[in-house]
Amino acid sequence: MIMLTAVVAAVYAAVLIPFKGLTIIPGFTSVRPANVFPVIFSLFFGPAAAWGSGIGNLIGDIFGGTFGPASFFGFIGNFFFGFVGYKLWGNLGPLSSGEEPDFRSNTGRQLLEYLVVALVAAAITAAIIAWGADLLGLVPFPVLGATITVNNFIAAAILGPPLLYLTWPRVKEMGLLYPEVLRDDDLSDVASARRQIAAYGIAVVAIVWVLVGVFIAPPQSTFQRALGAIGFVLVLGLAVVSGERLSELVGY
Amino acid sequence: MSRSPSLYVDRNTVLHRLTARSKLVLLLGVFTTAYVFGHPAAVFVPLAASFIALIYAGGWRNFKRLAYIIAALFLVGFVVWPAFTASGGPTLLHTPVVTVTRREFLFALGRSERIAAFIVGGLLFVTTTSNEEIVAGLRSLGLPYAFCFAVGTALRLFPTFLGATGTVQQAQAARGHEVSGGNPISRLRGYIPLLIPVFMTAIRNVQTQAMALEARGFDTRRDRTFYNKRSFAPADWAVVVISLVLIVGSVWLSLAGFGGI
Repeated sequence: MIMLTAVVAAVYAAVLIPFKGLTIIPGFTSVRPANVFPVIFSLFFGPAAAWGSGIGNLIGDIFGGTFGPASFFGFIGNFFFGFVGYKLWGNLGPLSSGEEPDFRSNTGRQLLEYLVVALVAAAITAAIIAWGADLLGLVPFPVLGATITVNNFIAAAILGPPLLYLTWPRVKEMGLLYPEVLRDDDLSDVASARRQIAAYGIAVVAIVWVLVGVFIAPPQSTFQRALGAIGFVLVLGLAVVSGERLSELVGY
Repeated sequence: MSRSPSLYVDRNTVLHRLTARSKLVLLLGVFTTAYVFGHPAAVFVPLAASFIALIYAGGWRNFKRLAYIIAALFLVGFVVWPAFTASGGPTLLHTPVVTVTRREFLFALGRSERIAAFIVGGLLFVTTTSNEEIVAGLRSLGLPYAFCFAVGTALRLFPTFLGATGTVQQAQAARGHEVSGGNPISRLRGYIPLLIPVFMTAIRNVQTQAMALEARGFDTRRDRTFYNKRSFAPADWAVVVISLVLIVGSVWLSLAGFGGI
């Protein structure tokens, strides 16, 4: 698992820098093909993807020369970018396909579920990073929140399904999916109802946080700061009580 | 991809000789000073100090390499912030599209300088601290060894994957693959043939590296030793004291009303 974390981090950082695409706010955000990796790595590698995405973004900042106080929020935001996928997949009730994300059958339902997962992951990352940048007085929440949500989602939505279709069977065959790598007692045994409530909770908090932060709360206001604090505590709490279902879906 | 992506500059200056821990405290002092003040004249002090220290530490080439990012961030802050702050004072610029008052101008300039101070301060840290020192510093701050090992391994693997990424880009380009044309969506789709080989190369690497670790009896739970472990020297203590004075002093001055707009 530790090697997976390191490799996820290194790949994410290595693809972040040379494949920087269309820059939107230089130094802060751009449409980057690397943004697909935390979402699909989350489905492959579970917790290793969360830690790896956080570390990878930090390495990107160190080597890219943008290391600073915002890197702390970048680490946490990217941690959740790689965390949401494996917690939500299979736990979205009617929005779930009930299958592993290989895009080989029931493709429409899988695509819908994947897009929801990608949107929530993008929104939660955007909310945390934009909240941090607003707290530090670097960029107002409405500017960064909207931008990161849109460009993280676009990259993950366009590149994710074909990448999963092409690589899922190979990674599964190699025995590197997280249910195989983790010890049995590390796979959380959470009741189905609690898993679904936590998954929907994370999704609702992420979307509401971004919408209120962008359209209602003024930047650098007490409202904006309190919204972020409440949103973050809620996300943390829901993350703690959440569970995963992919291990069931892949037959472990 | 022969050039190292690292921004570390190997020199023997006072800043290089400090431990990563004391440099992090110093960095915290610079960041705090840049954060608590809003007036551009006050924020200019940590910015200028960081810049002078960066040049002293041999970071001019790094600064030149990143000058466009710093300039772009400075401009973004300068353009965006007036739209999100209250106006006040005499009008400095009046056009049919935008009006900028003195308060908005000072506020935006202060914020842009803050961004620049953060970036230059961070650049000073990575210019004077090697990857190994960063990892040892994280460990000495009490972070779990497993986390530090993952960071260290990722830092070591990163240049390898960066090289692999460059090789894949060149190999696909030699086959006529083009990613720069078309609209943003088609450009993004064009990255798929580039990302899959990078991804699969990395995955194969996981298996090899994991086997190598197991063969050496790797265990994250046992106590570790570091070859280049450095103890706190008097210079480190001096820097910590100066940084603490900087932090307390700047917060006190800010609360007393100094450095506001």
